[in-house]
Amino acid sequence: MSFKEVPFAGTVPSPKRENEGMVTGNWRTKRPVLDKDKCTDCLICWISCPDACIDQSTTGLAFNLKYCKGCGICAEVCPSNAITNVPELDYAD
Amino acid sequence: MTSSKLFEEPGLKQITVWARGVYENKEARDVVVAVTEAAALEGKFVQAWENYVDLPDRIFVPVRAYGKISDQPIESKYVYENETPDIVALTEETLVKGVPILGGIRPGAVLVVNTKRSPQEISKFLIGDTNKLKAVVTVDASGIKQGVITLSGAEGATDASGIGGGFSGPLAGAVVKATGIVSLESLLQIVKDKAAARAGYDQARVADAKSLGLAG
Repeated sequence: MSFKEVPFAGTVPSPKRENEGMVTGNWRTKRPVLDKDKCTDCLICWISCPDACIDQSTTGLAFNLKYCKGCGICAEVCPSNAITNVPELDYAD
Repeated sequence: MTSSKLFEEPGLKQITVWARGVYENKEARDVVVAVTEAAALEGKFVQAWENYVDLPDRIFVPVRAYGKISDQPIESKYVYENETPDIVALTEETLVKGVPILGGIRPGAVLVVNTKRSPQEISKFLIGDTNKLKAVVTVDASGIKQGVITLSGAEGATDASGIGGGFSGPLAGAVVKATGIVSLESLLQIVKDKAAARAGYDQARVADAKSLGLAG
């Protein structure tokens, strides 16, 4: 093996959309749940999410629960109280 | 090669406590320290330490604290992880989801969870070697006593807040009730809040793994 094949220390490959080396979904104790009737699509949660876990799909906002750590910032910043933090074990999946 | 083949120690019991990083570090450490110190009072050989590989300075990250109790001098004292735990305790209920808490457990292992939910509800989320479990125990330790959030005592520094002042006391009481690894009297000599530890011992709900449909 030449030195060019040795990976640079302490790095993970640059992700396009996600990083399989740092899946943080099991850090979550409370899950964000969106009430679509209250949501005004202001996207303050989207810009505030530190892990960029909120997707803007065509049907409205969706949380990427594979990486969401349940920090609760989205629920805190939501001006219309559309996001609530629900205990994780209330869901089977 | 795993080190379990290196050391054949029939008298050794391993305790692993899973917790969430930073805000439950101390509680996890206190559970293993309280149980192992109580065993030391009974003349056992003991060891208690925290996992160095986990990321303890990130809030919510799953972290581990370990304890070893043996009748004989502990030969595997430099093995820095519990690879085959006999007792698994969780300071927080959601650790049953997505975290390999039952990894490597020995037959007859006991799971103790700090939760308001019943053992039946908790057992639905368990994956892995559930057929090796002997019992699932739940106790609302956080309801008995609030957790202590402090960095005092982290990384081996002097712990100013005492052992078992938070919900670790009731959780250790539930561990003692479920396993009988030490006597309740020995535990009460170690923990700071003796009433809370006794309440945890009394309120722990022990469910046999067979009755939960986990065995076989």
